[in-house]
Amino acid sequence: MPNDRKIPDHVPLTSLFTAFLRVSLLGFGGGLVWAHRIVVEQRQWTTEDEFTDILSLCQFMPGPNVVGIGVCVGAKLRGAIGTIAAISGFVLLPCLIGFCLGLLYLEYAHLAVFRNILGGVSAVAAGMLIATGIRMLLPFRSRPVALIVAALAFGGMAFTRLPLLAVLFGVALLSLAATRVEAARAR
Amino acid sequence: MNNSAASVALTAHLALLSSISFGGFPTVLPDVRDFVVITHGWMTDREFSNFFALAQTVPGPNMILMMTFVGWKVWGIVGAIVSAVATFGPACILYFIAYRLWDRFRAAPWQRIVRAALVPVTVGLIIASGAVMARTADTGWQAAAVTAAATVLMLQRKLDPVVLLVSGGVLGGLGLL
Repeated sequence: MPNDRKIPDHVPLTSLFTAFLRVSLLGFGGGLVWAHRIVVEQRQWTTEDEFTDILSLCQFMPGPNVVGIGVCVGAKLRGAIGTIAAISGFVLLPCLIGFCLGLLYLEYAHLAVFRNILGGVSAVAAGMLIATGIRMLLPFRSRPVALIVAALAFGGMAFTRLPLLAVLFGVALLSLAATRVEAARAR
Repeated sequence: MNNSAASVALTAHLALLSSISFGGFPTVLPDVRDFVVITHGWMTDREFSNFFALAQTVPGPNMILMMTFVGWKVWGIVGAIVSAVATFGPACILYFIAYRLWDRFRAAPWQRIVRAALVPVTVGLIIASGAVMARTADTGWQAAAVTAAATVLMLQRKLDPVVLLVSGGVLGGLGLL
């Protein structure tokens, strides 16, 4: 439950920096999978619930979502300075490395073996993202309303040509209405 | 327009877009393209889409990285740095303020309902992103099988994800996918 959340004792800023550096560098196709693995499973800086909360908050805000996870986790553990440590880890070195790799890649883009390796990595990364989503869905097994909402969001994004923004806010409003009814009934 | 003026225009535009990119930065990519390709002619369509593909295949924060390439094209290394900062800076400040507010009202009853309502939407969208990625990456049944295997292995937590990624790379590199 969100009210009895614990803040781990004085997490060093360097841990925040290196954790989000890893999230960033390992995160092919988006760092969400690694953010979940490192923050929730390995370091236990947040509970599963809290992580999903943070992610929802970021999803409904402008900007690059995974950066938001760093901002929020850093803010939770150490306040503003924690946010700065997490974001520095997430952005500085990875951008530098990515930029250099990118220039190299532009140079050798004609080599088929490069494209093949990246193709294999992308296929695995897609599966990892699906698995992370499924794991986050597990706590909702007993709430049919939540499962239907998740299915609608999934379908809207994967199978229609509607803009993400329309799906996001459309399904969210529907879900808010359904959840209020659900809560009223439970009372 | 000289280079530094171009860079200032690009930075201001990216900062603005970053602050309105609800649903993630990719939602404003079409607008970035209009600005740099059509309005200003700083790069060709081809170059723009190359930067996109590049940022997707290199590890790291993809959208920030893509904007460093766009900025680099406009005004070299300085353009690259200011474009990156413009892409994540304003959003970071907003995230921080929002988290603080969210945290303050943690116990409020309305927040419990909002949370119960919004979280399933988020989870559905994440699984969908995985499916969309799979559609682009899986060029044949072999690649689709690799995606399916990765999903199952990841759910069982038996293997380190790095091992999964490397195995995918090796299979691809051997030309098996």
